[in-house]
Amino acid sequence: MDRSPEEGETSHMIDMTTSEKVVDLLNQAALIPTDEKLAVLKQVQELIINKDPSLLDNFLDEMIAFQTDKSIEVKKFVIGFIEEACKRDNELLLRLIANLNMLLKDESVNVVKKAILTLTQLYKVTLQWLLRAKGASDMQEACWDMVTQMKEDVLAQLDSENDGVRTHAIKFTEALIISLSARTSDSDIPKRQEGDISLDKVPKDHPYIRYDVLCEEGKSALEKMLKFMVHPAISSINLTTALGSLASIARQRPMFMSEVVQSFETLHANLPPTLAKSQVSSVRKNLKLHLVAVLKHPCSLEYQGQISTLLLDLGMPQSEITRSTPVVREQRKRPR
Amino acid sequence: MPSHPLRVAVVCSSNQNRSMEAHNILSKRGFDVRSFGTGSHVKLPGPAPDKPNVYDFKTTYEQMYNDLVRKDKELYTQNGILHMLDRNKRIKSKPERFQNCKDKFDLVITCEERVYDQVLEDLSSREQETLQPVHVINVDIQDNHEEATLGAFLICELCQCIQHTDDMENEIDELLQELEEKSNRPFLHSVCFY
Repeated sequence: MDRSPEEGETSHMIDMTTSEKVVDLLNQAALIPTDEKLAVLKQVQELIINKDPSLLDNFLDEMIAFQTDKSIEVKKFVIGFIEEACKRDNELLLRLIANLNMLLKDESVNVVKKAILTLTQLYKVTLQWLLRAKGASDMQEACWDMVTQMKEDVLAQLDSENDGVRTHAIKFTEALIISLSARTSDSDIPKRQEGDISLDKVPKDHPYIRYDVLCEEGKSALEKMLKFMVHPAISSINLTTALGSLASIARQRPMFMSEVVQSFETLHANLPPTLAKSQVSSVRKNLKLHLVAVLKHPCSLEYQGQISTLLLDLGMPQSEITRSTPVVREQRKRPR
Repeated sequence: MPSHPLRVAVVCSSNQNRSMEAHNILSKRGFDVRSFGTGSHVKLPGPAPDKPNVYDFKTTYEQMYNDLVRKDKELYTQNGILHMLDRNKRIKSKPERFQNCKDKFDLVITCEERVYDQVLEDLSSREQETLQPVHVINVDIQDNHEEATLGAFLICELCQCIQHTDDMENEIDELLQELEEKSNRPFLHSVCFY
């Protein structure tokens, strides 16, 4: 146990072990107002996740108990804690995924949105962990079933009445499509996501995680996203979000580039009638930004004509389009 | 009310006039605000339109002030630049470049379309991690003292309206349209993700 004096903030804590310190902080947290409570809980999180993870298991229930706190900020904190704890020790998914599921159905949209962000991270963490785990237990299978159900629930939120919840559901769908499709040599993968799970790493003989089912779920998520984007009453913000997501999918999964370019083309020709004039300007600007991102990808060759026409229509000078177009010779050199 | 105070960034080209005017007003009204420029350099008017004073982002407002006093105190007093720098150095020590700041905001307000484009380009070129959304709104403001003052009040009104929504993301579209009509200025609006 650590007894280093400089870590005690007050003199009475100097000789406390980390465990005693955590007990003390948790006792304090039960009695103080939200702002201070958050500060104290953050200290506990730091102590039991980073400083001495062997304590995580001991104090898990005490931390999770705060999910019933009245404050939205405290509930959001608990969601963040669930994410960090599960990333630190994947086994905890078995215990904590049900808590996240409950928070995903909270009455506050701010809590729901935070839970969607966390599920976006934990969906791939769970898949990767279960595929790596030796043997298969009923608990693991139940955990995967629950995550699969939660995934369906979030996809259904693309139809939420709340615009911000829909925005978060789009980002979840984007990440889901990336996870449930195969990475290829042409995939442009952000550095931070290099170690992430993708369909090509899923074995075809797993006892309960079925490759073909995941593959279909990925395709169906893409269809949902494409359908979402042509909804006539979509808000400009969600249109913007979907454009960014689709451009990112095209770059990371060039096999979907055709669908993405096609959807951009359709959108350009049929902007939703509900958009105000300034919103149309905002959407067109975003369309341009994301089309250029797709054009810069070496796999855009087949679509360069379509994309250039769209960009010219959106007011981009030919010289600028040419500058963003990859050179054909470089493309042929790329290993396939 | 949103569950935490809005973290706001106001951005113009040189982080001198428009963004600092708004920074000043917003911080007086209690907002958690920072200000930035997106230019590659900080430019201030010089003796002729083609002879601006150019500094890098490391130069403090104080150093610029002293430099201009040395160059032509009368000119820069008369055109209000010294007054502006004096105001700025009371707010913070030097201009900051948006592209170099890794802090996260809920709301980024830009003061001209070119700056808005640069902010969007920068934010969308960053690798996404938490997927926390950030709303970017452009309010066109001409780069002179009077317009900066008027623009800062409009930005402040915008922030206050957003701060008072129960559910910002659900209400922001409508709110922007109402304010557009009232102020008779079009806003550009987009969302990016950290």
